[in-house]
Amino acid sequence: MRAGISELAARLRNREISSVELTKAYIDAIEKLNPTLNIYVYLTFDTALKAAEKADQMLDEGDAPLICGIPMALKDNICTDGLPTTCCSRILKGFKPYYDATVWEKLKKQGAVLLGKANMDEFAMGNTSETSCYGAPLNPRNTNYVTGGSSGGSAAAVCANLAVYSLGSDTGGSIRLPASFCGVVGLKPTYGAVSRYGLIAYGSSLDQIGPLTNSVKDAAIVFDAIKGGDRRDQTSVDHDYGSSLAECLERDVKGMRIGVAEEFFDGINPEIKSSIDEAIKLFERNGAIIENISLPALKLALPVYYIIACAEASSNLGRYDGIRYGHRASSYTSIDDMITKTRSEGFGDEVKRRIMLGTYVLSSGYYDAYYKKACLIREEINREFDAVFEKCDVLIAPTAPNTAFPLNYKGASPVEMYLADICTVPVNIAGIPAISIPCGEDSRGLPIGMQIIGRRFGEATVLQAAHFYEQSAGKVIDDYEGGAVI
Amino acid sequence: MAISKTDIEKLAWLVRLSFSDEELERFTAEFDEIIAFADTINQSIEGGTEQIRSVGARMVSFDELRSDEVAPSLSNEKILSNVEGYNGFFSLERSRK
Repeated sequence: MRAGISELAARLRNREISSVELTKAYIDAIEKLNPTLNIYVYLTFDTALKAAEKADQMLDEGDAPLICGIPMALKDNICTDGLPTTCCSRILKGFKPYYDATVWEKLKKQGAVLLGKANMDEFAMGNTSETSCYGAPLNPRNTNYVTGGSSGGSAAAVCANLAVYSLGSDTGGSIRLPASFCGVVGLKPTYGAVSRYGLIAYGSSLDQIGPLTNSVKDAAIVFDAIKGGDRRDQTSVDHDYGSSLAECLERDVKGMRIGVAEEFFDGINPEIKSSIDEAIKLFERNGAIIENISLPALKLALPVYYIIACAEASSNLGRYDGIRYGHRASSYTSIDDMITKTRSEGFGDEVKRRIMLGTYVLSSGYYDAYYKKACLIREEINREFDAVFEKCDVLIAPTAPNTAFPLNYKGASPVEMYLADICTVPVNIAGIPAISIPCGEDSRGLPIGMQIIGRRFGEATVLQAAHFYEQSAGKVIDDYEGGAVI
Repeated sequence: MAISKTDIEKLAWLVRLSFSDEELERFTAEFDEIIAFADTINQSIEGGTEQIRSVGARMVSFDELRSDEVAPSLSNEKILSNVEGYNGFFSLERSRK
């Protein structure tokens, strides 16, 4: 397995390598691979090298944070002061935010080195990253397949070793699904555990920022670095996790109560089911107690998610009017005409569909039948999860019903594509944490992802269970050959 | 329920989007399928009758609100940095002579 954050941090501290040398190795690899893989949509090499020099000074002074001097990537919907942030949409092309997102502010203070902004589905709406206005990133493990989405560039950057770690955002599975398709680790934290200030909004009651990494330990390290309350995001919470989560991973699973809900396995590809079954057996052999549980309301989670997320998106995306930032239509006859032309030229089809659906379900006459009903079922889903977590410490489920799709897969309608989110959306609806970790490969050699889901602010248990599996299962997936040579 | 092209046109007007005839045909067909999918929530379990709580309300106490203090904000220059401004305002082409 390639060096993780703690190994690199040790080498930086031993002066085996400097942050500038490490950064240059990643820049060389990006220059070589990015023209093909299309992972980064904006490169920040100049600022990266300056940040690396500063990180080397911090390391010389001693007592630098663990992530100091380590090169990383940010999803293109996380605001970076003075550097383009476009959500991979024509409507925001050229937009340079005038403030940093809290997560980036925190990482920057700790000496992080930003290599660039990672490709994604336009406004995080999609699960293949193909709705990006820059074209889809390619899955490094097999370039005929998608990376998954919406944080496809963030997952692929880690997979191809074009970043040590990255941040993504997860509204309905957008960290976990690409983590699964690319064979990396993706953590979606509890809603409120990480500030969303500076994350360009999609579905505000669902969005959450989290890390994509090469190991569970790295995910814990990055989560430690970004978590915490923020007065600029009133939904964020300063939860007391006790101590560093990265330092509490070494726990066995003896006596851990693991729930397995049949609803998560409906319609799952048999190869994926078989891999997850093997993982469950491994936990059981090591003393975990497996509980078969039921979450009946889960069968409604997918339409509930699309109704709520699109309703929120239709409001959040109302701000793109061409007046204050981003694209503006070149000729128009009135302000109304300018706004309509700007939005019609600037948004892609999937974004338009979701804005239309969101407005429809909120409109007079349909509000009760769709939006209000979806909110009531959301409460029911929450109650079911609360009841399950009375008797279980974590749940195990597949991350996706399938492995990665072929690129430009034309056979599927929008609704058929939405079905890929069936295993991930319940977690966002309930605001609970979940991690996706690799647990095998299908017969085509494409990675399979397993979710470990916890109770609100139960990241420590989720990470411990995931770390245990990662250490105990042996090699479940081939290493990607390529990327930075260190 | 079937969605008509007129429904889509009305909705598009509400959200300030416009479609060509070909796009309108395609969107109407796709939207019909999407609404049928959304409709599945209405053939289901008895919806809960409890009051709907916001996600935030589940974990944040609103008993203690922060005081309303004036804090530094972004400068006019920064706010206008992404568009061509005029005398400190957002500017548009004259649309009425």
